[in-house]
Amino acid sequence: MPKLRALWIRLFNLFGISRARQNEADFDAELASHIALHTEDGIRSGLTPAEARRQALIRLGGVEQTRQAVRERSILPWLESLLRDLAYALRTLRKHRGATAAAILSIGLGIGANVTIFSMVNRFVLRPPPMGDPTTLLALHTAHEGDRCCNSFPYPVYTDLRDQATSFSGVAAYFELIPASIAGGGEPERVFGQAVTSNFFQVTQLPMVVGRGFIQGEENAPEVVLGAALWQRRFNADKAIVGKTITISGHAFTVIGVVTPAFHSVDQILGTEFWVPLGNVRQLVTHLPSQSSREQHWLAVVGRLRPGVTRDQAAAELKTLADRIALSNPKTDKGNYFAFEQAGSVPQGDLRAVILFLTALSIVVLLVLCIACANVANLLFAQAASRQRDMAVRLALGATRFRLQRQMLIESTFLGLGGGVLGLTLSLWSTRALSSIHLPAPVPIDISFHVDWRVLAYSFALSVISGLLLGVAPAWTASRPKLANALKGEDTLARPGRPISLRNFLVVAQIAMSVVLLCVTGLFLRSLQSASTIDLGFRTQNLLIMSVDPRIHNYTPERTVAFLTQLQQRAASVPGVQSAVVTDSTPLNGGNRSDGFHIEGGPNDPGAYVMADLFMVAPGYFETLAIPRIAGVDVGSETATGPRIAIVNQAFVDRLLGGKNPIGIQVSGGGATYRIIGVSGNVKARTLGEETRPVLYRSLQQTVATDPSFLGYTLIVHTVGNPTSVEEAVRRQIHALDPSMAIFNEETMEEHIHAAYFLPRLAATLFGTFGIIGLVLAAVGLYGVMSFAVSRRTREIGIRMALGAKPGTVERLILRQGLVLTLIAVVLGWPAAWMLSKLAGTFLYGIHPHDVFTFAIVPPFLIAVALIASWIPARRAASIDPMKALRAE
Amino acid sequence: MGEKSDVWQGTLALMVLRTLETLGRLHGYGIARRIEQTSGDLLQLNYGTLYPALLKLEQEGFIRSTWGVSENNRRAKFYELTKAGHRQVAKATAEWEQTTEILARFLTPAQEG
Repeated sequence: MPKLRALWIRLFNLFGISRARQNEADFDAELASHIALHTEDGIRSGLTPAEARRQALIRLGGVEQTRQAVRERSILPWLESLLRDLAYALRTLRKHRGATAAAILSIGLGIGANVTIFSMVNRFVLRPPPMGDPTTLLALHTAHEGDRCCNSFPYPVYTDLRDQATSFSGVAAYFELIPASIAGGGEPERVFGQAVTSNFFQVTQLPMVVGRGFIQGEENAPEVVLGAALWQRRFNADKAIVGKTITISGHAFTVIGVVTPAFHSVDQILGTEFWVPLGNVRQLVTHLPSQSSREQHWLAVVGRLRPGVTRDQAAAELKTLADRIALSNPKTDKGNYFAFEQAGSVPQGDLRAVILFLTALSIVVLLVLCIACANVANLLFAQAASRQRDMAVRLALGATRFRLQRQMLIESTFLGLGGGVLGLTLSLWSTRALSSIHLPAPVPIDISFHVDWRVLAYSFALSVISGLLLGVAPAWTASRPKLANALKGEDTLARPGRPISLRNFLVVAQIAMSVVLLCVTGLFLRSLQSASTIDLGFRTQNLLIMSVDPRIHNYTPERTVAFLTQLQQRAASVPGVQSAVVTDSTPLNGGNRSDGFHIEGGPNDPGAYVMADLFMVAPGYFETLAIPRIAGVDVGSETATGPRIAIVNQAFVDRLLGGKNPIGIQVSGGGATYRIIGVSGNVKARTLGEETRPVLYRSLQQTVATDPSFLGYTLIVHTVGNPTSVEEAVRRQIHALDPSMAIFNEETMEEHIHAAYFLPRLAATLFGTFGIIGLVLAAVGLYGVMSFAVSRRTREIGIRMALGAKPGTVERLILRQGLVLTLIAVVLGWPAAWMLSKLAGTFLYGIHPHDVFTFAIVPPFLIAVALIASWIPARRAASIDPMKALRAE
Repeated sequence: MGEKSDVWQGTLALMVLRTLETLGRLHGYGIARRIEQTSGDLLQLNYGTLYPALLKLEQEGFIRSTWGVSENNRRAKFYELTKAGHRQVAKATAEWEQTTEILARFLTPAQEG
């Protein structure tokens, strides 16, 4: 404690809080009194006054030394000199305002890009879910030998695991996605929720905002836990909501709690907003597998490891457990095993793609930051050169090299931190923009990401590191000027006999990196261009889309068909509407129902199968979407319970039937047999980039009862003019049929397709932005180096011109220098780009990673930019007046 | 031992505290003289080094200082122990005694076996 007290006092003294000046005067007085006392003693013992005073001073050991020793004790000397350096650095940076702004802008762009990408990495790879100790929460899967991992659980397998596995303190199961309508507090809305076992909240240890989670014995309780976003959106964050009753899909549930805003699903991807006990799931979802079936997999499972149990031990136990279960249920469970990963981490299957994408992005943004740092390092070199006299004087006066280096490093760290602040600001803005991107998926997905403490720590570390890195080389060089040269007023940093200066090396590295960046950027721009020319196979304009799900309003299949049929008729009669049709889901929805099909009565081996996407259609579908009908007839003549009919696309015919006349042929798949009555043109069914998929269109009225759409039904309206102009009228038709019907996915087909371009557009936007930033930085860097070279060579150029060199010759001299640097850089960067572009391959649409156009256009483009960047200083060199140049020195 | 010893690092503070405990209120010059006298003039104290040590003790809260008038009517700064200072003397003395006792065991020849 006394030590701490002393430290505080010294700190206060240092910052002048406790009147340091007065302290010094006080000590001077004390010292004077000391000397006087000592002198008096001396006189008393017989010395002359002069001798007595001399003795007193000798015994003291010097007035100035004592004063200095006390001063050092009263403050913290090392901190004082550091503070002085900090103040000096700030003063220097303020003096060179332009250069400082340029440096901070450069680093800010670099760090902003890095922080944005790191926020993504943080969201998808690093951030633990808000569920107790995330390392002990495992997402469990079933898998079958020889098949791809992973599958969900049948209910009895879950209970076997729950009751028998001792590695876990608790195992919970949940049904992942329940579409439902929620009423009260405004228009009815479709939301998604989950049905969970009553131990779910104990196992996940989710923090609650208000209320509690379910407890043992509430398996069938009509209770609900709300997500924080839903609670805020529809219930105004009312804390008194606990105990109130709300209606979900027409069923009454009592709210018992609100879960933390950080949680929206165990996998951290799905955006679900309410949780009900699993016993209620059949009220909300029809056509669920039987509770006793060991073959139908429908439950996701998470387990909490018992304290002290390792994952390896759990894996071993699960293996023996799987064997035991297989023995007692040989018919259904033979060959099954369990797999797990930490809950909330990116699922194994998608991990590769996500990591690949983030790696590519990380490399690119690191390149941008390197270019920015090289830029600023060059700027500091230029500054160091102009401050060499200052440095030489300080060295000559006895400053240590370390002191000078520390001085320069403090300056560059300030630049780094300034850039960090700017970068963080930029990334706050960019993360918000990126989070708001609408994903082309039929299920709710929450991938929003934000700046949290991890991101803050990362950007701070990045700023300091880049500040130090970019300062090291200039500080090293600047702190060892040649004193002799400095006194003569000559260049002190030039090292004779070293043709490749560090500055030139930096600029070559910069340009080489921007070659890589530009190639990648070019690839993604080309990819976007090529994606935009993809033939979708259906009408993209003047279509309005609206979805409803009568099932979550407790409609029977018959009532659903009647509702949809009436809706189609009513919508078609709205003024301004050409035609309307109901289907289950729109094309380009990201994912879709699909089944394996084979020819009925044909060979039943795996080779005779074809996977086809399934769509439900009503009469007029193909005309409304302008999909050509190639052969046969449209749906409409069938009856709901009659023999099933289908229309298939050309790809289906080509793959399964090998060009045979398909009309009348019977195909089977997904437990049903269909007679083909027509053939249509190909469309992009799921995603833009897909190879054309076989598609089978079923009759809506024959399918609603037996195989209902899980995600509702969609009305597609073909309008005469702008689709949004009839939006209100169509909504009114829906509410005229049922005022409580929740409407969702309301958009025009153009908006829908715009969302489908998500990936190529995101990639092109990100890489395009980073590429342009990198290019501008590199060009500025080259410009800086060239103009510095010109200013250094002013005298040389003056002499050349005095001796008869033409301005043109001088201009070419400078241009040539810039061009040589650029060419070296291109020669180095181009092969690197060629190799790295393979990384990007997976994300490109319709172009090769070694796209000839991109790789051919980048070098000349870059050389052109480099020429412009060095042309400006070259012009300045050519306009040098030899008389002035020579007189200036 | 013809030469005078320098003051060992860290012991000066204890000497100052001990002096103030014995004599009460005292100015810097007086403390210095007293330390020399107590050591039987065996210690060669550079008076200048006393002042940083005093400042340190004051910062640590063991002593406090006030201006006053000396016996021969001269203005001088007087130091005296605080409560914490009294405690510190006891504590440091005990520590020091233990240290010297341990050292003594090493330095005196073994008496048996």
